Amino acid sequence: MSRPPTQGLRLTPGLAILLVLAVAGLGLIAYRFAFGLGAVTNLSDGYPWGFWIGMDILVGIALAGGGFVLAGLVHIFGGHRFHALTRPAILTAFLGYLLFIFALMVDLGRPWNIWWALISWNHVSPMFEVAWCVMFYTFVLFLELLPAVLERLQWERAHQLWRRVAPLLVIAALTVFTFAMTDSLGWTVAVAAILAAWETLMRTGVMARDRQMPILLIMAGIMLSTLHQSSLGTLFLITDKLGPLWYTPMLPLLFFLSAVMVAPAMVIFEGLVSARVLHRRPELPLLVPLGRALPFLLAGYLIVRVGDLLFRGVVLETMRQTLATWWWWLEIALVLVALAIFASPDLVRRGRGLLLGATATVLALITHRTGVAIVGLDVPEYGRYVPAWPEVVITAGIVALGLLAFRLAVAFLPIYEPELEPGTAGRAPRAVHDHLTATPVRVG
Amino acid sequence: MSALSRRRFLERGGRAAVGLAGAGASAAVALAEDAVADTGADRLVEQAAAQWAMLFDSTLCVGCRACELACNTDNELGRTPDEIFEGRPAEDARALAPSVFTYVTFHQVEADPSTAAFGKVQCMHCIEPACVSSCPVLALHKTAEGPVVWDGTRCLGCRYCMMACPFLVPRFDWDSRNPRITKCDMCFDLQGQGKPPACVAACPSKALRAGTRADLLAEAHRRIETRPRRYVHHVYGEHEAGGTNFLHLAARPFDELGYRRNLPMRSYREYTKPAMATIPYVLGGLGVALGALRWIINRRADVAAGGHEESQP
Repeated sequence: MSRPPTQGLRLTPGLAILLVLAVAGLGLIAYRFAFGLGAVTNLSDGYPWGFWIGMDILVGIALAGGGFVLAGLVHIFGGHRFHALTRPAILTAFLGYLLFIFALMVDLGRPWNIWWALISWNHVSPMFEVAWCVMFYTFVLFLELLPAVLERLQWERAHQLWRRVAPLLVIAALTVFTFAMTDSLGWTVAVAAILAAWETLMRTGVMARDRQMPILLIMAGIMLSTLHQSSLGTLFLITDKLGPLWYTPMLPLLFFLSAVMVAPAMVIFEGLVSARVLHRRPELPLLVPLGRALPFLLAGYLIVRVGDLLFRGVVLETMRQTLATWWWWLEIALVLVALAIFASPDLVRRGRGLLLGATATVLALITHRTGVAIVGLDVPEYGRYVPAWPEVVITAGIVALGLLAFRLAVAFLPIYEPELEPGTAGRAPRAVHDHLTATPVRVG
Repeated sequence: MSALSRRRFLERGGRAAVGLAGAGASAAVALAEDAVADTGADRLVEQAAAQWAMLFDSTLCVGCRACELACNTDNELGRTPDEIFEGRPAEDARALAPSVFTYVTFHQVEADPSTAAFGKVQCMHCIEPACVSSCPVLALHKTAEGPVVWDGTRCLGCRYCMMACPFLVPRFDWDSRNPRITKCDMCFDLQGQGKPPACVAACPSKALRAGTRADLLAEAHRRIETRPRRYVHHVYGEHEAGGTNFLHLAARPFDELGYRRNLPMRSYREYTKPAMATIPYVLGGLGVALGALRWIINRRADVAAGGHEESQP
C-alpha cells in the first residue's frame, strides 16, 4: 500500500524514442494519404496484403487477446487471485484495438467508406465478420475499462448506473451482432434469450452476481473474441496464394488456439517489462502460476499444427530449402523452446526464465501469423514481396503511439493494484474489491 | 484450506472447460458441414444458363488486339492506340491494370515455332465469385444478368477481393489517394441497351461471341465435337472455380496459354463456408457454456469456502 495506484510521468530517454518513432510514423502516414499506398509500400496486384495486415492486424489482435482470456479466467473460471492482472490486460486490449482500427484506416484504400460496414451486410464474408467483431469487441472493452475511469473521477452514481446498464447494452449488441452474422431470426432470438436468461437469474438472486464486473460483459468479450481470433484465420481460407505449410482448413482453429496460448505469455511479458520500466515490483506470485498453463497450451497448439501437416500429407514440404520452410522451422523451434522453458519449474520460478519463455511464445505467434500473411504467400507471376521501409516505420510508429497511450493511461488511471506484500497474493485483491464495493448495490 | 481447494477446483474447472469447448467445437463443425452439404451451387449454375456470357475461341483469334482498343475507347480508359499496340506482348494476367480491363496474351507454340497462340485475360464473371463472397460491404456484386460489377460508393479498398480472386483479376490504383477497384464489367451498360460488349463487337475474326451461357456452352461443345482435332477437349470456365460466365476454347493446353491451372472445380466460397457456418453455434454454445461454468464454479467455490452466500440482495 506504499504507492498510489497511478504511476507518475516524467520524460525519459525511452519515452523520447517512442515520441520520435510516433512522429516519424505519423509523417509517413500523412505522405501515404497524399500520394497513395504505392508511394510507401511494396504492395502489388499480386500481393495486395503485406506487412500491415500481418503485423498490425493478425499479430496485433492476437497480442491484445490477453484481455478476454484473463477476464474469463478471473470472472468465469474462478481465478480471482489473478484479478490484479486483469485491468492492465484489458487496458492493453482496448488500446490495442484502437490502434488496430487506426492502422486499418491507414491500410484501407478508401477508409472514409468504413461506415458502409454498418449498413451493407454481406453475411458470407469473413471480412464482414472481422469488421463487426472489431467494432463490437472494442465497445465491450470500453465498457470493461469504464470502471477505472469512473473510479478515478469518483463518480459513484455513474458507476452504479454502469453496473445496471452494461449487461443490457451487451444483450442488445450481441442480438444485433447475431442477426448480422447469421441472417437468421431463430438464432438471433436464441442468443438473446440465452443472455437474457442469465441476466434474469442474476438479478433475481438465483445465481450469484460478480462483484466487480457484470458477467454478461465478460461472456460477450469471450464470445466475440473467439469468433474474432478465429475469423482472422478464416480470412485466408479463400485465397490460393498461400503455400501448403501455411494454408490449411484448420487456420481458424490454429488462430484461436495460438491467441489463447499467447494471452498468458503476453500478460507475463507485459507484467515483467512494465514492472521494470515503471520501477514497480513484478507480480511474480501471480505471473508464475499463470505460466503453469503454458506447457498445455503450447503442446496443444503444437499437436494441432504438426498433426494437421501429417493429416494433409504435406509433411515433406518441411524439407524444402525455401524461406517459407525456414520460417516454419523457426516457428516450431520457438514453440519448442517456450515449451522446454515452461515445462521446467526451476526456470520459470525466476523472473528471467519466465521472461524468456514468454518472449519465445510471443515470437512463435508472430512467426506463425507473419508466415500466413507475408512469408507464406507465393504468387509465382509476381515474384516475391518484401516490405518497404516506410511500411515498417509506420507500424513501429503506431506501436509507439500505443505504448505512449498506455504510459499516459497508467499515469492517470488506477490500472495497477497497490503492490502486494509478499505472501498475500491470494487475499489482497479481495480486500481491495470489498473496499470498492463497500456501498451495497441493489439491482432488480 | 480454501486456497488449496480453490486451486484444485480451478484445475478441475479448467479441464472441464477444455473438454466442453472441444466437444462444442466438434459438434459445431459437424452441424455446419451438414448445413453446407446442400450448397445451392447447382441452383446458381442453372440460373447462370440464361445469363449474359461470352465465348473466346483461341483458335480463331489472330492477335490483332482490336478488342483491347475497343475496350479502352468504350470504357474511356484513356490510353492512346500507340500505348496499346506498341506495348510488348504479355503472357499472363499481370498486364491488367486500372486502365487495362482486357489483354490478349501471346504465346509461342513450342511444337511449331512459326505459329503463335493467343489467350484472353479479363474478369471471368464467375457464377459464384470469390470476390463477391469476400467483399465485406457488397461493393462487388453479381448482377442477375450475369456480369460482376463494382460499386465505388461502398468500397472500403480493403483489397480482400484481390486476395480472393483465383484469376488475379481485380486491380487497385496504387498511386491514387482515392483508389478504385477496377476490372471488366462485361459492358454492363451497353448490354443493358441490347448491344454486345465492346470487345465482342470489335472482333474481326469472330473469336469472341456474346450470348446466354447455355447457348455458348452448347456452341463450345459443338465446335469441339465437329472438329475434335482442332481443340483440346476442355471448355475453360465450364467448371473452373464453380463455373464462369466467360468460356474459353483453345488448341493448346490452357496452362500453355497463360491460364491458371489446377483450379478447383467448386466455387471459392465453399472454402470459407464451413467456418462461417459455425458462427451461430459458437455464439449459442458459448452463451450457454460460459454462463453455466461460471455458475457452477462460483457456487462450488463458495461452498468450499464455507457456504458463504454471495447472492443475497
